Amino acid sequence: MSTVSTRAPAGADRAARPPEPGGPKRRRRVRREKQWPAYVFLTPWMLGAAVLTLVPMAVSLYLSFTDYNLFEAPRWVGLRNYTEMLTEDPRYWRSVGTTLLYVVVAVPLKLLLALGAAMLLKNLGRGRSFYRSAFYAPSLLGASMTVALVWRALFNDGGTVPDLLGAIGIDSGGWVGDPDLAVFVVVLLTVWQFGAPMVIFLAGLQQISPDLYEAAALDGASRWRQFVSVTVPMLSPVVFFNLVLEMIQSFQVFTPAFAISGGSGGPADSTMFYTLYLYERGFTASHMGYAAAMAWLLLIAIGVVTLVLFRTSRSWVFYADEEGR
Amino acid sequence: MSEPPEGRRRLPGRRTFLAAAGAGVGTALAGSLSACSAPGGSSSKGVTLTFSWWGNDDRAERTERAVRLFEKANPRVRVATSNADFGSYIQKLATQAAGGGIPDVAQLDYRQVSQYAGGGALLPLSDALSEGAIRSEAMDAEFVRTGTYEDEQYAMPMGRGITGFAYDTRLYRKAGVATPHPGWTWREWTAGNRRITELGERSPDGRTVGGANDGGVNEDVFEVWLRSRGGRLYASQTRLGFTEDDLTEFWTFCDDLRRDGVVARAEDTAQATTTETSPMGRRLVAADFTWDAPFPGYPALLGEQVRFAPVPTTGGRQGAYFKPSMLLGVGAHTEHPKEATALVDFLLNDPGAGDILGFSRSTPPNRTVAARVAKTLKGAELDIYRYALRMEEYGLDAPPTAPPRGDVAIQTAFNRTYQRVMYGLATPRQAARELIDEAKRELRS
Repeated sequence: MSTVSTRAPAGADRAARPPEPGGPKRRRRVRREKQWPAYVFLTPWMLGAAVLTLVPMAVSLYLSFTDYNLFEAPRWVGLRNYTEMLTEDPRYWRSVGTTLLYVVVAVPLKLLLALGAAMLLKNLGRGRSFYRSAFYAPSLLGASMTVALVWRALFNDGGTVPDLLGAIGIDSGGWVGDPDLAVFVVVLLTVWQFGAPMVIFLAGLQQISPDLYEAAALDGASRWRQFVSVTVPMLSPVVFFNLVLEMIQSFQVFTPAFAISGGSGGPADSTMFYTLYLYERGFTASHMGYAAAMAWLLLIAIGVVTLVLFRTSRSWVFYADEEGR
Repeated sequence: MSEPPEGRRRLPGRRTFLAAAGAGVGTALAGSLSACSAPGGSSSKGVTLTFSWWGNDDRAERTERAVRLFEKANPRVRVATSNADFGSYIQKLATQAAGGGIPDVAQLDYRQVSQYAGGGALLPLSDALSEGAIRSEAMDAEFVRTGTYEDEQYAMPMGRGITGFAYDTRLYRKAGVATPHPGWTWREWTAGNRRITELGERSPDGRTVGGANDGGVNEDVFEVWLRSRGGRLYASQTRLGFTEDDLTEFWTFCDDLRRDGVVARAEDTAQATTTETSPMGRRLVAADFTWDAPFPGYPALLGEQVRFAPVPTTGGRQGAYFKPSMLLGVGAHTEHPKEATALVDFLLNDPGAGDILGFSRSTPPNRTVAARVAKTLKGAELDIYRYALRMEEYGLDAPPTAPPRGDVAIQTAFNRTYQRVMYGLATPRQAARELIDEAKRELRS
């Protein structure tokens, strides 16, 4: 504990230095006097950030260059974890493929459903708040183990969904035991939680000025035209926000896959998502160094994809305040 | 919260991983809970021990009762217990070990002994043994030795297990398959399975009942098959004992049977995690490869006609062997080593505890306890007791030395690599090559 309390204020001090160097000394002092209470109040958070996030991240980075089995001291192996992962481990690449498939399918589906529901709710008079809450509820429940287990039971051999499909002549068999379908059980569970982005879309839709629709209507624009030419561009910042958020979350999908496959990532590795494989490498096979290396590559990958999204956003996200640009 | 004694924690290791992965929070909590639960020093106030194991409900219920008996005999000591199924237990214990806090007393798999002892997570027990704090005079010395690592005792075997087949005598009789004897062969086994399938019996969901589960996912089945041909899984702690050809042959054998509908379908094998969800538990096949300790779960679920049969041989050579099916260890950093060793001794040697535990961890290592309990055995437990005697009489090859550390990972890899064969994603040879590559990486580190 003692190391912690001496380290963190030092960090806080550094952060407290004003950002603009070379400003008049007096003003600086005044500003600092005004700022110190803020840092006092921020201390608990900064302590937490340092002890629970920054230090562990640094240790994790170190561990990713070691062979660490939890029991013995980590042994430095340089880049071996990374080279083994990228060149020798076919299962690693399969987990990458499975995760990409999931992200590419689940994220657009979820956002489309969220946007659709938000459009419907926008024009709903009475009952809107009821439906909003009802659609939002799965987002609160969906992350839980219990719901994932119920989901497993629904799609299992002899479960409700295969039975209903059988009744209308589609013999799908149990989805959970079928490597081609198991991943879609997880996708559906995710998509079902469209409530969170829906609420954000709804807020975004309400921000769009009615004047724009009125003007468009006067010009004879159809509803579809209004949607394409008014709603979509005006909503694009919200779409972008939801897209980035959902994409980052989807890369880290863990709980539903863990529950639905019974922790195995099966059948035949079809739900072996990146994080599930990472967990298995760390906690079943006791290769914490390898797992740490996987975590860092995931961080880098998510960072790169996010960066690409931000870059491309310049061409399709429309900010009203940049109108005259 | 009292800080645990110095030099025992590798907090950054655990925390880091959690922060980076954002996973396993629940298990980590359990780890920190057990690390905090025993406040320092044994005082007159009393002592709380933590004790964890894996196993089914029957074992849990009996173990709880034995523990309560221990508490009655030692009023100063309270025992906080926890248990889980095997897969999650292994992960949970690893997480706890990362936090420097495995329970005071923990049930260990044979595979874990070298890993945990070598990593300094277990308390040496040689002194407790020589001082008589843990009594071993009624146990077979060779068997007690299975709990050693580099000539130091780190764990005490709790049960001596052996593999076999739970099989439905009614279906076997109906198909005209002779009652399995210890010398029956894999060829006879295959022919028997074909005849049972040809009966065309209907399972509850209307499908044809097959012969057995698909052993291709199970490293244990491969091991008995390999041993019956004179092979072995590991040549040393760093080398495999079998070749790509051996594994290809085994997986081709399983693959062909499954394609012919003689053993369970891929979907049913992939979803089997417990006796209840296994193909036999769902009445889809007539037999299931299993260990003797969990065997009583089958007749309990399916009826008395289910008995325990020997593993098939190759030309009369039995691949099955007696193995320490589970061991008891004491956490290296326990604050109450005296009480923890007393609990170990109690569970192994106390007649009262022996009566309660019965054969829930297969044959107890204490001969006096085993003989005493054997007299009271009924039904399935009597079946496995007699089975063990019969196999002893038949003569088994010497057991292999303790498997290397990497075996925990290789065991899971074995299952899922064969799943690729089951679903037609790889040929037996491709899969065998992939598993051997992975196993070699595992053994080299």
